[in-house]
Amino acid sequence: MAQGNLLDLTIIEAAAQLERRRLSPVELTEAMLQRIGNVDKQIRAYITVCDEQAREVAGATERMIRAGYYLGPLHGIPVALKDNIYTRGVRTTAGSKILADFIPTEDATVAARLKRAGAIIVGKTNMHEFAWGGTTDNPHHGTCRNPWNPERFPAGSSGGSGAAVAARTCLGALGTDTGGSIRLPSSVNGIVGIRPTIGRVSNYNVVPLAWTMDTVSPMTRTVEDCVVMFEAIAGYDPFDEHSAHAPMADYRAELPRPVRGLRVGLVRDYSLTHVQKAVGDAVRAALKRLEELGAQVEEIAMPSIHGNISAQLTIESCEPSAYHQQWLRTRAADYGEDVRTLLELGEMYLATHYIQAQRYRSLLRKEFLEGFKRVDVFLTPTLPFTATPCGATEVVIEGNRKEDMLSAIMQFTGVPSLAGLPALSLPIGFDPDGLPVGMQVIGRPFDEGTLFRVGHAYQQATDWHTRSPRL
Amino acid sequence: MKSEESVTKETVERLCAQAELALAPERRTRLVPMLAGLIGAANELSRKMAAAAHRSILPILRFPER
Repeated sequence: MAQGNLLDLTIIEAAAQLERRRLSPVELTEAMLQRIGNVDKQIRAYITVCDEQAREVAGATERMIRAGYYLGPLHGIPVALKDNIYTRGVRTTAGSKILADFIPTEDATVAARLKRAGAIIVGKTNMHEFAWGGTTDNPHHGTCRNPWNPERFPAGSSGGSGAAVAARTCLGALGTDTGGSIRLPSSVNGIVGIRPTIGRVSNYNVVPLAWTMDTVSPMTRTVEDCVVMFEAIAGYDPFDEHSAHAPMADYRAELPRPVRGLRVGLVRDYSLTHVQKAVGDAVRAALKRLEELGAQVEEIAMPSIHGNISAQLTIESCEPSAYHQQWLRTRAADYGEDVRTLLELGEMYLATHYIQAQRYRSLLRKEFLEGFKRVDVFLTPTLPFTATPCGATEVVIEGNRKEDMLSAIMQFTGVPSLAGLPALSLPIGFDPDGLPVGMQVIGRPFDEGTLFRVGHAYQQATDWHTRSPRL
Repeated sequence: MKSEESVTKETVERLCAQAELALAPERRTRLVPMLAGLIGAANELSRKMAAAAHRSILPILRFPER
């Protein structure tokens, strides 16, 4: 098969060919490694490329499949992991100088589960330093760039994972999401990403950002691929104290269920407010498409929603500062300037600020759970703007007013993070500059299945996810 | 008093001393306007959460499993 064709395969498509031995895992892995070699000098999506290990595993995988040992839809699939996820024997920097030489002696649970499913890890992806930021403008490992326009940012903190998938250098990747770090790069890179319910996917051996909000999950080109990776990594893990015993659904089997009759909620004065025109237009068009598929849209008031950015900044400031407390006193100069500043600021909140922010989470969650009596999912844009120029610290959303990037970027993704709800981002169009726009679908706790179903139905009816950046 | 006025160089100096965080004077100065914005927003949220209607709400650190 021609290399160009290999790069455009989804996980599902590649798996079908690998199982029938029409495609060799060696050939597929080589195509990805070659693609990394061709484009990653420009995109900087990877901190470490595991070429030697990937080739070795691909050879072994080929022999296994030839001998009749096919493990399932991830067997022989090249994937990438964000560099805060422990990988045994492969350095795990968390995008930092402080952990630049850290080589874990064991895998994160999610890495182990992907390996067990037969996935081939081609590399560790670039990220915002210690996941504390949304640009992936990394001072230690290079500025990651957006494959749709390398002058634009890939968002973050899982910017490397988003760019790696969009650039066709792997078929899927894992990211981590505290306040939006999977969904933001999924949106601006034109791919799919899900933040799971807290407790659904193990955080064991993942470098933390904020303990009470951290999650891990897949980023892929299609919802169906996302489900395949999600099914491999999700489920109870005795090593993670926050892991939930909640039952897993058969997500793939539920995907074809139609969305007719599904009740879709918009939060009044929030869901379509304070967004760039192209973003608002794309979300309204996506809503219309879902209505044509039989969904019913309802507007719901949520009076407490507007405290969300302060609550998120408070929690996301205090918890990382607690984790980094000693390093900030002994290795301050080894942090990038933006992260160092945020860590210093996080030491200056009062305990009451932190506790009130955690109480706000209960209030917000209560309002959402009340709303879920009337609707099945809520929709918002994933972020209120499309990809900004690399290095920008401010953004214009409406009029000529410049806003601080960190607060602006959290406008929509912080809400499900605070309320402990799952949320999926999927591509729904492009702005006039050809930059992707994403939509966020928020669901009930542990109801990732409905999010996948909505996203899959939308992707069956549209072709945004099939477009690729010209690199 | 607004947070913009109440957060000063001296405030940051005092907070650094409490946290045993040694910062150079120029770093402390740089933090003042940023901290003023963050603390202002946090105080507003605190006022909201202190309202009588929200008195029974508990902080959430771990989510229910279902």
